[in-house]
Amino acid sequence: MSGVTERGAYERRMAEIRGLFESNGDGLRAIAARSALVDELVLRFWSDEVKTAPALGKGIAVCAIGGYGRGHLFPCSDVDLLFCIERGMEKPAKEPIRRLSQSLWDCGLQVSLATRMPGDCERLDEDNPEFALSLLDLRWLGGDEAVFFRLQDKSLAKLRSRDGRAIGVALARLTRERHAKFGDTLFHLEPNIKDSPGGLRDVNACQWLHGLRTGKRLILAGTAGQPSAAMEPKPVDPVHGDLLPGGELRDAVAFLAAVRCFLHYRHERDDNTLDWEAQDAASQQRIGLPVRTGERVDAAYWMRVYFRHARVIDKRLLREAETSGLQVEMPTAVRRYRAPDAAGFQVKSGVLELEPISAGGVDVALEPEIVLAAFRAMAESGASLSRSTEDRIVRAIPLLSANLEEGPGLWRGLAAILTGRQAGHALRAMHSLGLLELILPEFHGIDALVIRDAYHRYTVDEHTFVLIDTLHGMAAQPVVDRGKGRGRDGGSDGVREPRRELEEWRVRFGAILAELQNPALLFLASLLHDTGKGRVGESHAAESARLAQSVLQRLEMDAYDSGQVMRLIETHLEMSAAIRRDIFDAETVRAFAGRVQTHESLRMLTLFTYADIAAVHPDALTPWKAESLWRLYMATANQLDRSVDEERVHTRASTGGTGLGRKGEKIARVLALLPGREPQMEQFLEGFPERYVSTRSAETMLQHFEMAQRFAQDPFQMIFHHGATQSGSVVNEITLVTPDRPRLFAAMTAALAAWGMNVVTADAFANQAGVVVDTFRFTDTFRTLELNESERDRFLASMRDLVAGRSSVEKMLSGRRRPRRRAPRVAVETRIEFDETASSHSTLLQVITQDVYGLLRAISATLSDLGYNVEVALVDTEGEMAIDVFYLTSEGKRLTEEQEAELRVALLSAIEKNSR
Amino acid sequence: MQKIEAIIQPSKLDAVKDALVEAGISGITIFEARGHGRQKGHTEFYRGREYAVDLLPKVKLELVVSDEMKDKAVDAIINVARTGRIGDGKIFVSRVDEAIRIRNDERGEIAL
Repeated sequence: MSGVTERGAYERRMAEIRGLFESNGDGLRAIAARSALVDELVLRFWSDEVKTAPALGKGIAVCAIGGYGRGHLFPCSDVDLLFCIERGMEKPAKEPIRRLSQSLWDCGLQVSLATRMPGDCERLDEDNPEFALSLLDLRWLGGDEAVFFRLQDKSLAKLRSRDGRAIGVALARLTRERHAKFGDTLFHLEPNIKDSPGGLRDVNACQWLHGLRTGKRLILAGTAGQPSAAMEPKPVDPVHGDLLPGGELRDAVAFLAAVRCFLHYRHERDDNTLDWEAQDAASQQRIGLPVRTGERVDAAYWMRVYFRHARVIDKRLLREAETSGLQVEMPTAVRRYRAPDAAGFQVKSGVLELEPISAGGVDVALEPEIVLAAFRAMAESGASLSRSTEDRIVRAIPLLSANLEEGPGLWRGLAAILTGRQAGHALRAMHSLGLLELILPEFHGIDALVIRDAYHRYTVDEHTFVLIDTLHGMAAQPVVDRGKGRGRDGGSDGVREPRRELEEWRVRFGAILAELQNPALLFLASLLHDTGKGRVGESHAAESARLAQSVLQRLEMDAYDSGQVMRLIETHLEMSAAIRRDIFDAETVRAFAGRVQTHESLRMLTLFTYADIAAVHPDALTPWKAESLWRLYMATANQLDRSVDEERVHTRASTGGTGLGRKGEKIARVLALLPGREPQMEQFLEGFPERYVSTRSAETMLQHFEMAQRFAQDPFQMIFHHGATQSGSVVNEITLVTPDRPRLFAAMTAALAAWGMNVVTADAFANQAGVVVDTFRFTDTFRTLELNESERDRFLASMRDLVAGRSSVEKMLSGRRRPRRRAPRVAVETRIEFDETASSHSTLLQVITQDVYGLLRAISATLSDLGYNVEVALVDTEGEMAIDVFYLTSEGKRLTEEQEAELRVALLSAIEKNSR
Repeated sequence: MQKIEAIIQPSKLDAVKDALVEAGISGITIFEARGHGRQKGHTEFYRGREYAVDLLPKVKLELVVSDEMKDKAVDAIINVARTGRIGDGKIFVSRVDEAIRIRNDERGEIAL
């Protein structure tokens, strides 16, 4: 008998197995059947050899190892054989083993063959831990049984007792390395169902870890609680296995086994990539699903089933590893964390544990505040939840749902998680336990969602978490590579290494992150930016914005903050699109600046775009793209300061829908809010810079309009909004609506300074009729308004009096203690620049200097003392740098060169005096 | 056979690709590149900070075509990539001795 003659019979039997699989879809039975078929073949070939040379019947054991040893032979998997031979049998066995191997190859099998003496298997070969792992699945096929038992009971027992721990450590390392190749996530658009995290190799890892720990095999039973006959332990197998518990893990293994069989038959080789075409075909045939007949299922739904099973396997592996004291995932950088007293949880050695259920049965897992604080601790420290804590949270979800209160408290809790350095780690855990969907049901639509896109590698939810990880990674300290000592321009060949270049770009963009006024808004927008992909709509950005609107309402965020989040979500694709255009073309920059409108929005969109590209695929962000992004950022930042005065609202053109695009739509919306009074509203909006319209909601503009109608009662109309605490500081907002008059801006800044307030951003606009809308966002240096709620009314009344000149600013200022000066972390050199080209009728003044208390008052008082009128003001702070832009006129005209020179001297003097 | 290397403005890439496909050419290799010719670098200011723009972003295309297709391909690129301003880019054409399709060892123009 030879392989050539047997090939036809083998192929017929293989076709039968395939036919059975195609009719019943049972992958576990198919792989067991192929394993049994190969067993027959090997034994037949070997018995032929023994018949020819009876001496081979002693001293040689034929064994299966690896997947074949487990009785799992997928249709195109290799066959791993081990010939265990006694000393002295090497020579007589050599030729028969070669012939057997040849026969198997002739049958069409891919055979990996090893020959060892029992003693060779007693030690771990550090360079080949895979062989030791394959021995853990050893199975006797035939030959000398005594040799097999010597190998199993003596040599392998020694291997386990002496090197068991080392094998476990090697397995953990191999697993980490394998997972790293897949970005440490199971959420791939086209996963490899064997090697990806949550794949079949992880099931094997669970079995090996279990075996190393308990000395017993973890045996996979057949599907539907009906063990396959071929899967049951062989009578000769002296190691009684632990049967894999029923339920979700067994279902997951059965599912993956069916999918892998399907892929092998489809690809006709050992290719385990579940590509898009395979996903379509598998979903159409309902591969792995319990009910195989009926309507075809959607590929996205089928992939969600896959990811649910992969998650189960991933979690089981983590538990096996934890029980074995091994680490199979890349550790998060765990920082020391001390939970506050009565926090309801503890963090020890990187593991977070909720307090035990009290004797009275009170479970802190039912307290939303405690649970959110626990995830905040995870986000800040990188700690992981203990398995019992995970179980308790899962059980608590229904009651947590009833106890959860929405509103500012929930936003504070969520913001604290989002801004923690390990936010991605905490969010993934929340998502996996169902807590994220409890807080944000909008996220459910993108759970394990596969969107077919040639560039993306991850599912939509995982892409979101990678994006958030990337943003936090931008804040990390620069990585110093001392290896090659190259400067920024690289070596003599002028070529810079991409990795080094990317690190430089990361640091440069990371500096922008430090300049954000409220980073939590960027992270919230990032979390929600793709939620619209789970819905059918014209554009996912618009759908995401629509979903975000309801989230922001539930969190009761103020108009300014929610406006920032909404604008970022709506425009989140626009910077990526803009860098594909000519970024050196003024019109590209002007159009893009028109969409982002403010420096804060630009900073957020730039950071978002950088991280969004990086989160698409590990190689998606190239130095070339980073550089293009930076150029556009710079050009747009410059454009934003220089276009405000020129681009003004002309309501007839705007509502006619030409030229102003979305601004026109917004004007039409605000007019619709005032049926019958449209002409008055049009008159109010006429002549405001377009930026006023772009940066205010229709409701806010309506409020300003109503204030302007009350000038007869009080010409100094003000509204004050006390902000919520974010990242340890409160940003308040005050808006003044009043008829224009000299020194107004200076009066407001002086009044705020008199109350000890520090202006963070401000803008001042006026319409054609001379109605001024000045808005200041400021921090409360002495926390007067935060600690004394009753002071807020007095503050507003006092501001009115101070601005109206009814009380003395100077008197109040003289009694005001100045906050303690701190040495600046970054020294900023003062620069004063004038630009005559930005506006046709005013002079642009840009002051860049160290941000210190009282600076804006000092500058505006100087402008006012010299008699210059502030047409538009844009006040901004980036970290320790103040960037204030004013459009100035002198008696309705631009400043002369002499006036500019005089103003420069006066400003330098005022800034220097204020800084003392 | 002729190899055409074209260095163009990144913003023209999509249009050039479309023009080449329309001309009957589908095999193109694209590189992200940086450089400058007569369009020298310059200095930009951003909020008080100075940045040197020494190398400008470009895209480099490489395609190998039959001798008959050379002029068609070159014209397609020029027609779309030309704005008349400095920085539009350059095209280099050189002779190719052999082309081999790795999959099946086909050689010559059939392998293109």
